[in-house]
Amino acid sequence: MSKAEVPSGVSVRFADDVERSLYAKREKVYPREVHGVFAALRVTAVAVLLGLFYGLCWLRWDGEQVLLFDLPQRKFHVFGWTLFPQDFPYLTFMLIIAALSLFLFTALAGRLFCGYACPQTVWTEVFLWIERKLEGDRQKQIKLDKSSWSRRKVFVKGAKHATWIVFSLWTGFTFVGYFTPITELGARLVVFDLGPWETFWGFFYGFATYGNAGWMREQVCIYMCPYARFQSAMFDQDTLVISYDKARGEPRGSRKKTLDHRTAGLGDCIDCTICVQVCPTGIDIREGLQYQCIACAACVDACDQVMERMNYPKGLIRYTTENAVAGAPIRVFRLRVIFYGLILFGLAVALGVSVGLRTPLALDVIRDRNALYRETSQGLVENVYTLKIINMDDASHRFRLSARGIDGVELLMEDATIEVGAGDVRSFPARLRADPHKLQKPSNQVVFALMTTDNPSLKIETEGRFLGPVPAR
Amino acid sequence: MIVYRSIPRVQLISAVLWPSFLLAGIATSVFFVFLDPVRLFDYEGEAPLSRMAAYSLGFFLFWLLCVASSAATAYFMRPTGSAVSSDDGSA
Repeated sequence: MSKAEVPSGVSVRFADDVERSLYAKREKVYPREVHGVFAALRVTAVAVLLGLFYGLCWLRWDGEQVLLFDLPQRKFHVFGWTLFPQDFPYLTFMLIIAALSLFLFTALAGRLFCGYACPQTVWTEVFLWIERKLEGDRQKQIKLDKSSWSRRKVFVKGAKHATWIVFSLWTGFTFVGYFTPITELGARLVVFDLGPWETFWGFFYGFATYGNAGWMREQVCIYMCPYARFQSAMFDQDTLVISYDKARGEPRGSRKKTLDHRTAGLGDCIDCTICVQVCPTGIDIREGLQYQCIACAACVDACDQVMERMNYPKGLIRYTTENAVAGAPIRVFRLRVIFYGLILFGLAVALGVSVGLRTPLALDVIRDRNALYRETSQGLVENVYTLKIINMDDASHRFRLSARGIDGVELLMEDATIEVGAGDVRSFPARLRADPHKLQKPSNQVVFALMTTDNPSLKIETEGRFLGPVPAR
Repeated sequence: MIVYRSIPRVQLISAVLWPSFLLAGIATSVFFVFLDPVRLFDYEGEAPLSRMAAYSLGFFLFWLLCVASSAATAYFMRPTGSAVSSDDGSA
């Protein structure tokens, strides 16, 4: 029975039969429901994470959505902060820090992320729950799949897929709600007035949820997840893993509860295969640590219950380290952990400092592309620009602009006062005027300086080009 | 070494589509951080594409490019001529 649940898609097993493996059908995994300490932890993690995903987009902060990656406006609102494309390096920084934290956690505690926090795990958990509610437990699901198509089967399967699809579409809508203000999106949804791309991405993400959590499941972890493949590089003998205690369990075999198995020459494993039945990736943990193991600890919970019923000590399958199993001392602070920790600390400090030193101001200089230059009636050369001022500060400011780089260059602006609100972007037309005799080249570098009148320390400079006639020799 | 023909089809398809998807996402972000699509068109007056449309089309173009590259790699991973028999036997 246990053999049937092991997925047969792993390449090395088919070395003798290459052609068949190309068409090797995946055997569906029916994870059995499990209760216990770690299952409760996972349900908590799922509730918190999905609660955040579906709820956060509805919360507001100072009149703005708490978390909104407003792509159409090119502004990110993150907990009262407004980030602009110019702040992209911070985002990159944060992603690098997140990746390094994952490395550190992996070195310490193994694949905690996979078992409790990965979106694939979290959404699959919900889909499995829906499936269980509608189709019944594992045995009923297997029976239903084997049975021929009846009215009941069509109804049950139809209800399951309909529930999955509704849930997926809601997920897709929420996803788009992180890129377009969700209250406005919701208002347009009820009158069927969504933009084509909002509709498209909603369906796209919804479809991805339905496909990944409903159909692909463990195949995402096995075939698509890069982390699953390289996490072993962060492991050492002191990393927390889920392990079957071979010394204690073997030789495995079924027995009567009353039998003194030690004298009968048996280990603690009663070979009930429940650890295999609960496994969402369909592996047998007793075969040793495998890269398909997402460390969800379902087998730990399941085996503990069996051990309890048999009156054996718990922990035949448990969270442990390779060294601990071998009886070696447990070391938490290894060179690897210290190394990851130091880099992480260094990056966090660097990010903090650079955010602290950030000038919340940007000036874009856009030269008018319709004309190279024009000559005024006084014989001066004039270039036309659009100056885009981005005020990333959380207060409104008034600005003063000046230009230098060419002798006697003059900046002319139509607006008497230049004021930009907090987190706002405004464009101002401007002209630069210079004497052609002062130009050394047809294309000259000029510097635009933007100063804040109410805060002299807040200033920025941007380079631009000033075009003129070819200077007469 | 794992030979092209010895991996399951889902894995092969995932190996082409999925990394391309991720890379296209990164490429799109970086590209549009430096290039505002509305500014790209502004000398025409009215922009023919909204930002959302430009981002989306940009993403799919990048994805298509990456898929082409990954698919070509997968194709060329196939053993040629004499290599077929030895790889099939020893993989």
